[in-house]
Amino acid sequence: MDRVTGRVRAHQLVTVLLTVAAWEIAARRGWVDPLFVPAPSATAGALVRIAGPALAALADTLGKTALAYVLSVSLGVVAGLAVGSVRLLRDVLSPYVIALYGIPKILVLPWIVLLLGYGTSPAVLYGAIHGFFPIMVLVMGAVRDVDRTLVTVAQSFGATPLQIYWKVLLPAIVPSVLAGMRLGIVFCLLGVLVVEMFAGVRGMGHVLGSFANGFQAPELFAATALVSAASIAIVLALDSLNERLSRWRA
Amino acid sequence: MKVALLRFGLLAAVLAVWELAGRAANPLLAVPPSAVLPALRDLLLLRSYPDLPASLWLTVREITAAYALAVAAGLATGLALGMYRLAGRTWGPMLAALYAVPAVVWYPSLMLFFGLDVASKIAFGFLLGFFPITLAVLAGVRQVNPHLVTVARAYGAGTLAVIRRVMLPSMLFTLVGGLRTGLALCVIGVIVGEILGAKAGMGALINHAYGLLRTADYVALVLVTLALVVGSDVLASLLERRARAWTE
Repeated sequence: MDRVTGRVRAHQLVTVLLTVAAWEIAARRGWVDPLFVPAPSATAGALVRIAGPALAALADTLGKTALAYVLSVSLGVVAGLAVGSVRLLRDVLSPYVIALYGIPKILVLPWIVLLLGYGTSPAVLYGAIHGFFPIMVLVMGAVRDVDRTLVTVAQSFGATPLQIYWKVLLPAIVPSVLAGMRLGIVFCLLGVLVVEMFAGVRGMGHVLGSFANGFQAPELFAATALVSAASIAIVLALDSLNERLSRWRA
Repeated sequence: MKVALLRFGLLAAVLAVWELAGRAANPLLAVPPSAVLPALRDLLLLRSYPDLPASLWLTVREITAAYALAVAAGLATGLALGMYRLAGRTWGPMLAALYAVPAVVWYPSLMLFFGLDVASKIAFGFLLGFFPITLAVLAGVRQVNPHLVTVARAYGAGTLAVIRRVMLPSMLFTLVGGLRTGLALCVIGVIVGEILGAKAGMGALINHAYGLLRTADYVALVLVTLALVVGSDVLASLLERRARAWTE
């Protein structure tokens, strides 16, 4: 760690500490209404109180997210490869794919809930839809931009179509797949949480929603902090995995 | 030509399958396109939801307020973090880490704090739009040639003049991209907020139709909301094109 990095780290630590301190003072002095903005100490107390059920709910949410994630990564990569590599498919489908990527998915959520009811399946489906499009769009673009000469050379050396996908296209798009996986996890988690808030009976989204409805601000803040920490940890873990893989590629 | 034909054919095929499947299925759950059209007509003639114009107008105002706040705060934060290197290196990564949290986890807190009325929707739209705008401004500031800033300063330009005359023109390209993404996310934020709990606005109408199983009306309302989303993006893309033409 060089000197500047050390100073940056120190500043970050000071920022966090000052924010927490100012917030605690503001809450204790009554500058903010503790009914809506509880002090950090109250939030920490609430975190201890709700830890058991909140962690169970978090596990439930993360389980659904994992399922949605596996679906969206596998389907997104396959669809992106197929549509990106076949010229006609790409020309015909890409406006539709871009349009579907762009529209707010929340508009179809009521219909999904109507069809699938309350529970795990709408959350998994909606999370998977959320993650699918960014991954597919990234992979599609990456396949389109693969150097044509590589494909031509492989073909002239007699590679079968399967070999071209497996040995030329797939390795070439690995960075985009990794970028898509990094983006996709946040989208999947977002989708699952939205469904749990909208029509959930379990999971972290439902927990957050019911704390808000019950005006349990300390518990709400604690639960929010827990989900945020979990998602930051997941993204950081994916980032470091990504870095390790790209070092291995290089 | 062939491509356009195939695109059109695909759309027609999807609609046909939807029509057949919709007729066969439970009418409360699936709505064939032939049932959507009358519902859309009733909606647009204000027969099914007389307060459609008021709701649409409310949603538009919420989006406008959220976007105005997001642009102002995003520009200010991005410029401040970009111009003071230590601040940027300290708080930039912290902002990026917060961006990795799915934003909807903040929504219950915003709802508790701002209530069920327009304020919580504006706050959520603002939150979603703020991050891409700030990050785009931050990236844009890093593209500005520092010599230009030094020269402008040497000729006695103040901070505001440097921002207006030197920095904004040379980062415009990145900036307008961020502003467009920001608008799309503001729109999504307001709509998500309304659907997760609102008393008025398009989301409230959608929830009403869904809650009463008026599925055809629900689809019609979704189409109207989609028109709003697409319209805002078309507007943004026109502005983006003009800004790009101006820089070249």
